[in-house]
Amino acid sequence: MRNGWNLESARTRYLCLLLLILAALASGMLSAQYQKKPPDFGGTYSFPTPTHPEPRAGWVRTLDVAMLVAGLGLGAWIILKRRSRDGTVLLSLGTIAYFGFYRKGCICPIGAIQNVTLSLVDSRYMISLGVIAFFFLPLVATLLFGRVFCGGVCPLGAVQDLVLLRPLKVPEKIDRVLGWVPYVYLGLAVWFAGWGLHLTLGTWQIQMGRRFLICEWDPFIGLFRVSGPFHMLAIGAAFILGGMFVGRPYCRWLCPYGGLLAILSRVSWKKVEITPGKETDCGLCAEACPFGAIKHLRAEQASCLACARCYMSCPQELERRGIPTGESALIQVQRP
Amino acid sequence: MSENSTRRQFIEGSCRVLGFVTIGGAAGLLTQRASANAVYQVDPFKCTSCDLCRTSCVLSLSAVKAVNDFEKCGYCMLCPAYMDVMSKPDERGIPTGKVCPQDALKRRVVGKVDTDDPNNNYYEYVVDEARCDGCGKCVKACMAPAGNASLRLEIRYSRCVECNECAIQIVCPDRAIVRVAAPGMAPAGPVR
Repeated sequence: MRNGWNLESARTRYLCLLLLILAALASGMLSAQYQKKPPDFGGTYSFPTPTHPEPRAGWVRTLDVAMLVAGLGLGAWIILKRRSRDGTVLLSLGTIAYFGFYRKGCICPIGAIQNVTLSLVDSRYMISLGVIAFFFLPLVATLLFGRVFCGGVCPLGAVQDLVLLRPLKVPEKIDRVLGWVPYVYLGLAVWFAGWGLHLTLGTWQIQMGRRFLICEWDPFIGLFRVSGPFHMLAIGAAFILGGMFVGRPYCRWLCPYGGLLAILSRVSWKKVEITPGKETDCGLCAEACPFGAIKHLRAEQASCLACARCYMSCPQELERRGIPTGESALIQVQRP
Repeated sequence: MSENSTRRQFIEGSCRVLGFVTIGGAAGLLTQRASANAVYQVDPFKCTSCDLCRTSCVLSLSAVKAVNDFEKCGYCMLCPAYMDVMSKPDERGIPTGKVCPQDALKRRVVGKVDTDDPNNNYYEYVVDEARCDGCGKCVKACMAPAGNASLRLEIRYSRCVECNECAIQIVCPDRAIVRVAAPGMAPAGPVR
């Protein structure tokens, strides 16, 4: 015979039901104890509405994109059309002020590589329209006008450009080898942003979730925010000190977005041309270029950072603008 | 113009067109997934008020603030989030210490006021956002059973600078910083 604890027996079912009802009652009483209703205050008190601030208004969000478009347009005009170094410096100062100190270095196209990767890999990730615009607009601008984004719109480039005091020539071989680093960094950044690192080598394990390496190791964000973790500030200081004597080390040998732009700039519609058709073959422009981007008296689009320094060193360009160069300088450089 | 240079121009032009098409396509694909108003927010069900919101935000005064939900608040005289209940009591038996290190939780008496016994009065608690640094001490103290859990930490959209990657999110041990479509508290999708 089976005993009385049989679920099918009527008595056990009745018992179970009773227990359930008791449990429900007990939990109801307990929760009632904690969910105190707001009291009746008497008098004329009314609830203040909990303040939920709106996110940055639509137009403020659009302002970032508008500033980027304006910067790119202005940059293209100043660098390619006006051929003005002073204008480029002014644009750099403006970009440091707005994208650097006011927006505190975010949103930036360099970091947007990671947001875009994550959004492509994980469709649940909510990317914002602003980030998309920031990633793609400089790419479009580069296809049209070359690396004008690097020239005066990117705050990281602008900082390095303004601290450059006495550029030393870097041997071409070293420059070429280091020039591959951005692509390694780009690959790493994309991999970490999309998948993270999960490695097992025998007993040795690495488990790292998705990370935004570019943001964690950004050299100048600490400067723009006037605070930051030690490693960021140290790297920033090193790049600024190094950047006084070597032209834009981050842009040339580390920036992953610069790597992308370098590829696109090879087929850009308009290019930086120093004085096509009437050059004196003096090579002063190549001397003036801090990035070693002028090879065989032609600006190499992939490594030209559109800083407009070469124009200012060109006797032909200065003559065209009516800036007195000193007769002797022209005579010296002109071939007999 | 030499034949070589025309061919070069043709190749460059084709590459350029290819570039535009690729960029346009990728941008179009992403735009479909995008939200115009995606923001960072604290998931209150995951948050444990660990103090990292105070130290990790890129702003010198964190964009994370304590927010009081008045519908849930008990308006208690002896608020465990306002006064440090373990501190030395004064002659009337009311603790003298405060929980908030910044003195950012302010209160005022509301409703009908009993001047003889302050214990009979109701107090409205408001966070002074110019002082609050998002440390979450009050949020912790307001948890059940002592309080009603009416206080919670919230990223204030008006202050958040929307970094490419939220600096608090990187360090948050509870993975409580989520991307949501603002305004709203419901987490719309996990980030990682």
